[in-house]
Amino acid sequence: MSRPGFVLEVDDRTPPLVVHEGLGFRLESFPLGTRVVYPPESIPTVPDVEEAIREALLHPHDSEPLPALLRPGMRLTIAFDDLSLPLPTMRAPDIRGRIIEQVLTLAAEAGVDDVHLIAANALHRRMTAAELKHIVGERVFRSFYPQGQLYNFDAEDRDDLAHLGTTDKGEDVEISKRAAESDLLVYVNVNLVAMDGGHKSVGIGLASYRSLRHHHNAKTMVESRSFMDHKHSAMHHSAWRMGRLVKEHVKVFQIETTLNNDVFPRPFDFLQKREWEWSVKDQATMLGVRRGMSVAPLRMRHRMFHDLRSVYGLTGVNAGEVEAVHERTLQKVHQQHLVEVQGQSDVLVMGVPYLGPYNVNSSMNPILATCMGLGYYFNSYRGRPVVRKGGAVILYHPLNEGFNQLHHPSYVDFYEEVLAESTDPAVVGEKYEQQFAQDPWYIHLYRTSHAYHGVHPFYMWYWAAHAMDHVDEVIWVGADRRVAARLGFRAASTLADALEMASGTVGSSPSITYLHNPPHLLADVR
Amino acid sequence: MSFIRESVDDVRQVARGWRWGRRAQVPRSAEEWVLPARSTVFGTEWSRRRPAMAAREVAQKAGLEPLFRSQVRTRVEGLDVLSRVDGPVIFVANHASHLDTPLILLSLPDEWRRRTAVAAAADYFFDTWWRAVGSSLLFNTFPIDRRGGIMAATPGEVLAEGWSLVIYPEGTRSTDGWLGRFRMGAAFLAKEYGVPVVPVAHRGTFAAMPRGQGWPSTGRRQLTIRFGEPLVPGPEETVREFAPRIKDAVAALLDEDSSTWWEARRRAASGATPDPTGPKVAQWRRVWQQTQSPQADAPARRLTAWRR
Amino acid sequence: MMLALEMFRSVSRTMAGKAIGGRMPGVLSGFAAPLRLVTIDEPRVERPGWARLRTRLSGICGSDLGALSGRTSLYFSAVVSLPFVPGHEVVAELLDDCEDLPAGTRVVIDPVLACAARGVEPCEACASGATNRCARITVGQLSPGLQTGFCHDTGGGWGQQLAAHRSQLHPVPDGFSDEQAILIEPVACAVHTALRAGVRGGDRVLVSGAGSVGLFATLALRELTEAGEIIVVAKHPHQRELARELGATEVVAPGEVLRRVRRSTGAFQLEPEFSTPYLLGGVDVAVDAVGSRQSLETALQATRAGGRVVLSGMPAGADLSAAWFRELEVVGTYASARSDDAFGRATELVATDAVQQLAKSVASYPLHRWREALDHAHSAGRLGTVKVAFSPGSAS
Repeated sequence: MSRPGFVLEVDDRTPPLVVHEGLGFRLESFPLGTRVVYPPESIPTVPDVEEAIREALLHPHDSEPLPALLRPGMRLTIAFDDLSLPLPTMRAPDIRGRIIEQVLTLAAEAGVDDVHLIAANALHRRMTAAELKHIVGERVFRSFYPQGQLYNFDAEDRDDLAHLGTTDKGEDVEISKRAAESDLLVYVNVNLVAMDGGHKSVGIGLASYRSLRHHHNAKTMVESRSFMDHKHSAMHHSAWRMGRLVKEHVKVFQIETTLNNDVFPRPFDFLQKREWEWSVKDQATMLGVRRGMSVAPLRMRHRMFHDLRSVYGLTGVNAGEVEAVHERTLQKVHQQHLVEVQGQSDVLVMGVPYLGPYNVNSSMNPILATCMGLGYYFNSYRGRPVVRKGGAVILYHPLNEGFNQLHHPSYVDFYEEVLAESTDPAVVGEKYEQQFAQDPWYIHLYRTSHAYHGVHPFYMWYWAAHAMDHVDEVIWVGADRRVAARLGFRAASTLADALEMASGTVGSSPSITYLHNPPHLLADVR
Repeated sequence: MSFIRESVDDVRQVARGWRWGRRAQVPRSAEEWVLPARSTVFGTEWSRRRPAMAAREVAQKAGLEPLFRSQVRTRVEGLDVLSRVDGPVIFVANHASHLDTPLILLSLPDEWRRRTAVAAAADYFFDTWWRAVGSSLLFNTFPIDRRGGIMAATPGEVLAEGWSLVIYPEGTRSTDGWLGRFRMGAAFLAKEYGVPVVPVAHRGTFAAMPRGQGWPSTGRRQLTIRFGEPLVPGPEETVREFAPRIKDAVAALLDEDSSTWWEARRRAASGATPDPTGPKVAQWRRVWQQTQSPQADAPARRLTAWRR
Repeated sequence: MMLALEMFRSVSRTMAGKAIGGRMPGVLSGFAAPLRLVTIDEPRVERPGWARLRTRLSGICGSDLGALSGRTSLYFSAVVSLPFVPGHEVVAELLDDCEDLPAGTRVVIDPVLACAARGVEPCEACASGATNRCARITVGQLSPGLQTGFCHDTGGGWGQQLAAHRSQLHPVPDGFSDEQAILIEPVACAVHTALRAGVRGGDRVLVSGAGSVGLFATLALRELTEAGEIIVVAKHPHQRELARELGATEVVAPGEVLRRVRRSTGAFQLEPEFSTPYLLGGVDVAVDAVGSRQSLETALQATRAGGRVVLSGMPAGADLSAAWFRELEVVGTYASARSDDAFGRATELVATDAVQQLAKSVASYPLHRWREALDHAHSAGRLGTVKVAFSPGSAS
C-alpha cells in the first residue's frame, strides 16, 4: 500500500528529522510549527516489466505499432537518456536497456540493418564505456559498441549536426544529423521528474549549443515557473516549439518510463521512511551509519554514497507520439511526486544531497550544489514557489567537495574567475558565456575526454536564476564560509543561526517549510 | 575524544527523539496517515522451536513453578480427561487474572505442558519486543488479535503444527471475577481443525490477584482448577450452536467446583446451573462475592505428598 | 667610529640557515643569521670622485634576505668581499662635496660598482652604457663586490656611513620623502626589467609574484610598455589590491595561475605524469619576480612557444624543459643600466600617486632592532608591507 505525500506540522511529538547535506545527513530539530513536505510513498509498480514494454510498443498512443514502422533498408536511430537519469543510478538491468533490447528484437525481426544508438547527452560529459554498458546492457553493448554504432552524442562535431531551420520565434534548431536524417528516431527516456521528457528529449538531448542557447539562458530560466511544470516553463515552451519543428523532419517514436520512489536500497532504506516510524533497527542503522561516516575520510564516504544503486520499480511505460505519451507520463510522475501544500511560507529549508544530475561518479562542487538546491529543489513546485517572494532559503551542504578536474574543468574557471566578478546570472551570461562556449580547450575536453562542455557551469547558474531572483536571502548551513561567500551567499553553522541571520529579511518568527527530499517530490502550492 | 562525545550526543538525541523505553509517538498532523498496526507485532515462530522449548522448560521448572507455589496453593481436579484424548486440544477457560495462565500451564502434566501454547492479545503482549520475547519464552504465547486483523502466526497454524492451545474466549480479564461474554473464536477453531475442546474452570485467581494488582496477595491464597469432559463439535453442528455448549460446560464446571459433581450434574440436567455471569446485583456485591477464596478454611500447611 | 650591521663568514650559521630557514624563518633573524651589530671604522675610499655619505634610510631587499639565509647560490661568493655591511637600496646625504654635488645633497645610490667607480678603463659593457654588465667588478681599486652593500671597502646602507662614487649618485628631487626615495632604486631595477621584457603592443604579460619586485615590475610594464593584459600572481589580499592599483588587469592566486592564463589565452593544458601541468600556448611574456623554483616553473609553463621569460628574482634551480621545447627566450635582468636612464625614469614613476601611497607603508627600524626588522621583512607580504628599511640615524 502506498500512502500519499502529506505536510507534517512539527509538534512536540516529532522526532528529529533527517536533512541531507552532501556526503552525509544530519538530524535536525525544527522549530515547532515548521511544515515538512513528505513525498508520497512508492506507488504500485507494473507487475511484469517485459510484458508492459511489449504492450507499449505494440499499442502506442497516436502512432502505428512499432513493428509497422520498421522495414528492411531503413535508417533506424535509437537515442536514450544519459547517466544524469535516474538519480541515483538504477541497479542493473537498467530500464532503458530492457526497452532497447525489445526494440532491437523487433528491428531484427523486421530486417533492419542500419541501426545507430546515440546517448542523448547534449553538452553533458561523454560517458565511459562502462557507463554506457550499464545503461544499454551487456548484450546491446557487445553488439554495437565495438562497431562504433553505440556512441555518445557530440554536439561539437560540425559534420554530424543538421540545422533543421528556425522556429517561428527565430530559434535555431540544430540536432544530431544522424538522428535528423533517420527514417525513424526511437527515443528511450527515464522520466524521473516532471521536467524530463516530452520534446525536451530530442529537442535538448540531441541539440547543439547553437540550439540550446535559445532557452538555456538567465532570462528564460527566470520565466520558467517552474521548470518542473512544462506548461508554465519558458524553457519547455521553447523546447516544444523546437520539438514540433523536429517532428516535421523526422518521425519520432517516443518511449517514456516512470519510476517509483524507491531511491535508497537497504540498509539505507530508513532514509526514505518517515522518521517517527523508524524501528529500533532503523535507528540503530542510522546511528551506525552516522558514526561510521564521522570517522570515514571524505573519499570513503564519497565512495559509499556513489556506489549506491537504487532499486527503482517501473510504474509505467508509454510509447508513441511525443505529446500524447508525455501527457500520460506526467500523470504517473505527478501521482508519485505531487504533494499539496497550502500557501507559501517565509523560509524554505532544503537539504542538498550528495547527488545531482551532473555529478554521477563525480564530485558535487559548489556550483552543482547551488544548482541542486536553488535549481532543482527550489523549482520542485507547481503553481507558486513554496517560499514567498522576498523570503529566505536555507540550504544544507558543506560545499567542501572541491572540483573534479576531469569532469568539470570549466567549472573551476567559472568559480575562480567569473563568480569572483559577479554572481548575477544575467551579468555573467552576458559577459562570459560566449568565451566559455567557444573556448577550444573546453571543446577539446568535451569531445575527447569526459568533461562537461565549457558553457555548462553557466547553465547551472541559470538554473538557479529563478530562485536568486525570487528570494532575498540564501543561507547555507554547515557550509564553508569562503565558498559560500564566493557564490554570493552566506553560511551559518546551525539552523538556529541561519534563522537568526534571516530574521532581518523575514522577521523573528517566520513560517518555515522544509522539503523532505529525496525521494523526489513536487509541491503543488495552492 | 570528540568522536566519543559526538557519539554520545547522537545516541542521546536519538534516545530522546524516539523516546527509548517509552511508547513511540506520532506527530499529530501525521496521525491520519498511520498504517494499521500490523507491523508492530513480533513473530513468535522461534518460541516453538527446540532451543526456546528447552529454555522454557528451565524457566518454568526452575523459576516459575517454585515462585508460583510459594505465592499460592492450588488444587487440580479432572486431569484424567486428558488420558481420553489424543493429540492437540483447545483448552477453553474463564479469565480473571494474570495468574490464570501459569495456573493452567503448571497444572498440566509435563508432556502436555510442553506442547501447549497460549493465545495472548497481540496489542498488549506483542507490541514491544521485550514483552513479546518475555511472554513467549515463559508462557509460549502467540499473538491473536482482539480487533480482527492479520497476524504474524494464526492460531490455526499453531494448531496444525500439533500444539494444544489455551484460549480465553472472553478476550480479556474479567473486571469482577465473574464470567463475561464468550467469543466464538475457540468454537470456530475446534470446528475448523476438528480438535476437541477441553473446558477448564478455575476459581480463586481473582481473589488472589485481580486486575490492577501486580503480585498475588499475601497469605498463599487457594486456587482451584477443574478440567472437564472434552467436547467435540458434531458433524452437523454449526459454530453458533457449538459455542454455547462450551460456555455451558465451563459454567457447569464452575458450579461443580463450588459444590459437588453430583449436584452440579443434576442442576445442569434441569437447566438450573447458576448463571456464571453472576447475579444482577450491585457491582460491589459481585466483587465482594468473588474476592472470597475457595475453601477459605483450608489449613495453612498441609502434607503436600498426598495432595493430588 | 660608527654603528653598522656586518655580515661575516660563518659556515655553521649559513648551513643552519640553509637547512632549516625555509621551515622556520624565525631562526634567520635569530641565531642563524651571519649578521652582527658592530662598531667599526667608517669606510673611506681616498680616490677622486669618492665621497662619504650619511645614511638616511636603507631598504632590505629580497637578495639580502637570500644571502642571510644562505639560499643564495655560491656562485656569488666570488663577487663579494666578506665581511661587509649590506644595504644597496640607500638614501643618503653627502658629507663631502663630490664633484658637482655639494655636501648635504640628498642622493640615492645606483649600487653597481662598475669600471668608473673602480678607477679602471671602461670595459666593453660599461663603454656601451650597460654598467650592470660590467666585467671588472672584482678588480681595480676596490675589493671584489658586485654592488655597494656587498663590498668590504665601500660600506653599505645598513651602517651609519658609507662611501660612494660620483657615478653612483643620483640626487633626489626636493619634495620627495626619504621613504619615497628609498623606492627609486628598486623601481629603477623594475624599469630595467620592463625594458628587458621586450613587450610588444598588446602582449599578454604574466608577473609571477607581488612582492616589491613584482609590484614595481607591474608598474613599470604598465607605464613604459604597450603591454595589453597584465596578470599578476599574488598570494596575500593586500598585494592583490596594490597590484591592481599599479596596473594589473587581473590578479590571481598562485594555485589558479595556469587555469586563468589558459582561460584568457585559449591555450591547451597538458597534464604530464608525476609533474605539474603546463600550457601549450599562453602569455607572450612572463616575468618571474620571486625566484623560487615553483614561481619560475609557473612562468616557464605559462608562456607560449617563442615567448620570453624574464628572470627578475634571483633564480633557483628549475626544470628548463619548457625553455628548450617551447623555444623560450629566457632573459635575466639584473640591477639597472646607466644607458637606460633607469634612475631618471624611476624617479618619475615614484612621483606617481600610487607609489606615493605605497611609500607611506615603508616600515623603518633603527639598527639595533635588526632582528625585528628582518622578521618583518620575511613576512612583509603577509603583513601588507612592501618595503622594510633601516634608518641608521635614528635612535629608536
